[in-house]
Amino acid sequence: MVKVFLILFLMVNFLFAKDEDNIYESNCVKCHSRLPVTIDKYFYRYLLKYSSEKDVKKAMFAYMKNPTVEKTIMAESFITRFGIKKKTNLSDDKLMEALDIYWDEYKIFNKLK
Amino acid sequence: MLVLKNSGIDLTKSETRTLLSFSFLYSFLVLVILGVVSFLYYQFQKDLMLQEKRQVLQSYSNDLIFRLKDLHVNIDKNNIYPRDERFESAIFDSDKKKIFSTLKSKDVSLNDIIYLSHNQIHFIKEPESYYLGSKYIIVEVPDDGVWFEQIRYKIVISFLFAFLFMMVLGYFILRLFLKPMRDALHLLDRFIKDTTHELNTPVTAIITNIEMIDKSSLDEKLLKKINRIEIGAKTISNIYEDLTFVTLNNQIISNNEEINLSNVLRQRVDYFNSIATMKKISFHLNIEDDVFLVCDMKKITKLIDNILSNAIKYNKIAGFIKVNLDDNILSIEDSGKGIEKENLKTLFERYSRFDKSVGGFGIGLNIVSLIAKEYNLKIDIKSQINVGTIVEITW
Repeated sequence: MVKVFLILFLMVNFLFAKDEDNIYESNCVKCHSRLPVTIDKYFYRYLLKYSSEKDVKKAMFAYMKNPTVEKTIMAESFITRFGIKKKTNLSDDKLMEALDIYWDEYKIFNKLK
Repeated sequence: MLVLKNSGIDLTKSETRTLLSFSFLYSFLVLVILGVVSFLYYQFQKDLMLQEKRQVLQSYSNDLIFRLKDLHVNIDKNNIYPRDERFESAIFDSDKKKIFSTLKSKDVSLNDIIYLSHNQIHFIKEPESYYLGSKYIIVEVPDDGVWFEQIRYKIVISFLFAFLFMMVLGYFILRLFLKPMRDALHLLDRFIKDTTHELNTPVTAIITNIEMIDKSSLDEKLLKKINRIEIGAKTISNIYEDLTFVTLNNQIISNNEEINLSNVLRQRVDYFNSIATMKKISFHLNIEDDVFLVCDMKKITKLIDNILSNAIKYNKIAGFIKVNLDDNILSIEDSGKGIEKENLKTLFERYSRFDKSVGGFGIGLNIVSLIAKEYNLKIDIKSQINVGTIVEITW
């Protein structure tokens, strides 16, 4: 009986834990990990072009909602090879949440020494 | 002030005040103008220095951008901000939010290209690509202050020379301004001098002849007429003496002696009695005997005459004049129309008159103040409209 409870508890715990950090992990990292270019490289390309948190998130958001060749920050060869991503299915709030996690993960603030 | 001395004219207080105000205003304006010019020169020299430094700072910023580019590419392997011993630096994003800084200054302006603040020169560069998100790159170097050392003495010396030059110029402008006023006063004084000189002989002849008449032998009607002539002649004589005093004030040498003021006062009251009688004014005397004062007889007589003359002139018909004399105070009180409070301040100024209904030149109280000043007598005037005026002289 005790073992059954313990297994159930661990399952529930595991399920909830996965749900917590997975808007970004499951919706972004999952697909990007299949590509040869790591996800951080996109971030630094955005940073190189848009500079501030507000502008970077705004550009990323616009691209995710309606990805086009004109809006991409990746090189032409990359697009030729891998194409343009599909439109996101995430709601605005969920997408913004994922972008916030992405920003916090790779932002430069407080990282330089 | 030299101008006034040279003119030989005793300018009244208000004129002196006007001149002082002009001098103050002129000096203030000169200081402001020179201050602005000095500041502009300082700014110009500072900009010149910054332009000279700009090339060096540009090259520093290019170095930094190159190293930031390298760091941007390798940020996953290295997170050490590029430092250089030649300068301090900082990077800001497009929202002007600080990404990293080694600057000594806490507050920086990103709106300028190059500027000096708190002895630090800041150069702001916007790179073409925002490495690590840095839209603004600031390079900071300390200002050695050599340029300011070089211009500091130059500015101070030039300022002093220019100020001196402007003051000399101001002196000549002042002379120019004073000329019409001086000419007008000269003209007035000369006119009074000439007029009084011509009046003296006939007036003296009239008074002397009247005094020689044996009044007891005259009938009442003629006596009245003679008295009127005497009063008229005395009034002219008084005016003559006042004008002479004013015009020759600078040249009159005082013959000081111990004077029995009580006797002089009684004698002057007696002299004015005939004039006072015309207006039915009565004298109430309270004169202590043997009060002595060291002064010039003519001048103290002039002082008393002017106060008494005013007390009669501005009194009402059938009024009174109280004359009190103690050891160190002489007070003359009248029951006249009084003086407005705001006029009390300028009462002693020459040619200032507040009541034009009676004749006069506006010099009487000016003479009183000049004499009082010479003998350190303190004049205090209290007045109430339609009640009267009290003139107190203390020593």
